[in-house]
Amino acid sequence: MNKFVRGFGKALLLFLLPGLTGCGSYNRLVTLEQNVNKKWADVQSVYQRRADLIPNLVNTVAGAANFEKSTLTEVTNARASVGQVKLDPSKAPTDAAELEKFQQAQGQLSTALSRLLVVSENYPQLKATAAFQNLQVQLEGTENRISVERNNFNSAVQEYNTALEKFPTNMLNKMFGFKPRPFFNAAPGAVKAPDVKFDFNKATPAATP
Amino acid sequence: MRNRSWSLVLGASLGFGAWSLELLRRRVSKTVLILLTVLAGGASAAEVIPPKPAGYFNDYAGVVSKEKARIFNERLAQFERDTSSQVLVAVFRKMESESSIDDYTQRVAQAWGVGKKDRRNGAVLFVFIEDRKMFIQVGYGLEGTLPDATAFDITERQIKPLFKANDYEGGLATGIDLICKAIRGEYTGSGKTTLEGGRKSANGRGFLLFLVVVIILFIATRRGRRGGGYGYSGMGGPFIGGWSGGGSSSSSSSGGGFSGFSGGGGSFGGGGAGSSW
Repeated sequence: MNKFVRGFGKALLLFLLPGLTGCGSYNRLVTLEQNVNKKWADVQSVYQRRADLIPNLVNTVAGAANFEKSTLTEVTNARASVGQVKLDPSKAPTDAAELEKFQQAQGQLSTALSRLLVVSENYPQLKATAAFQNLQVQLEGTENRISVERNNFNSAVQEYNTALEKFPTNMLNKMFGFKPRPFFNAAPGAVKAPDVKFDFNKATPAATP
Repeated sequence: MRNRSWSLVLGASLGFGAWSLELLRRRVSKTVLILLTVLAGGASAAEVIPPKPAGYFNDYAGVVSKEKARIFNERLAQFERDTSSQVLVAVFRKMESESSIDDYTQRVAQAWGVGKKDRRNGAVLFVFIEDRKMFIQVGYGLEGTLPDATAFDITERQIKPLFKANDYEGGLATGIDLICKAIRGEYTGSGKTTLEGGRKSANGRGFLLFLVVVIILFIATRRGRRGGGYGYSGMGGPFIGGWSGGGSSSSSSSGGGFSGFSGGGGSFGGGGAGSSW
């Protein structure tokens, strides 16, 4: 509150007109920042949803006769390391390195999961079970949701960051301490993570030039 | 001498023009590049988001008879009146995108705003005949009653066998049936579609009365010419490359008892599942 009063006073003193328009801009910035935080919470919840699926998946797969143990441990480890990168779910990170770390951990989990699904191709009996099919569908759905929520988050951040840089709002960010937020970046293999569609009936276009 | 100096000036300004253009071009391409990387997993350049459809059942590929299409459309319109949930079917010839079907159809459903804004209760069954692919996009508000596993079951185990046998009508009927069955009961409707409800609140009584008179006149003049006409018929058109359709929804909604669709601003989070046949 104190911060607000002091900052606002300064704004009025220094630029009377920009100060007045700044009031609206301040409110707009707050709204946009809230939106970024909300979208961040959405991102967190879909990632959480994926993490919650994994014990079930691992149990189902482990039940299959002599399933490759290494892929299973890889998934379990990746999930554990995801759990270690804890970010505040209610507030979007301001530190790009922090987000990068989070993204890396999640990316590893994505890779491990897609490998598991590829390996499961070798176990037709496992693939035929309803439990596994359901899990696979859920996992695919979760990946879709992750990609959607990440995109939504990025557009929210983009809107907020743009507003932050525009005149006269750009004067407010110094006064009130608004910080630009980092994006999710499109690291290969992380965004479109496991494309777990097994279309083996069709030849892949890339392989046959 | 004079000529020469002029040409010098001209040359210089041309050079400057070219340089500034080059700068501009570089800048534009740079922003485009940044935009592309920022919109992670974003749309590819060749993507076409089709315009909002005029009805609930939209057969752009012409695989269903007009009579059946009209029945499907009325059924889905009635479903919205009863439950307020908007269920759409869109049958296209080809997918106009390089993205995967789940990605692309999410963007389309979101752009169409299927479902009510506050309830987010929309669902769209997308079918791409030539790609032999389908996907059910489920809005946030319906993810509970129509979870991915159910959507997968509907597409993979119920619709797919019929599509495989080239029975598109049967497959779509089954799909509509099962989707509606799954989500019935989640919400209760107002007895009106968004289009019907929107008119009243937006334009007041006087205009509504005027509209009713116009519609009655319209129907009266039309009835004589075409028995039980199908308002959508004009939309099919030649389908070459792009998306046809997108005509004004108000004109089609008043012709021959066709219930037009108007999105309520619903949103989609990537829920749903699909399969290929």
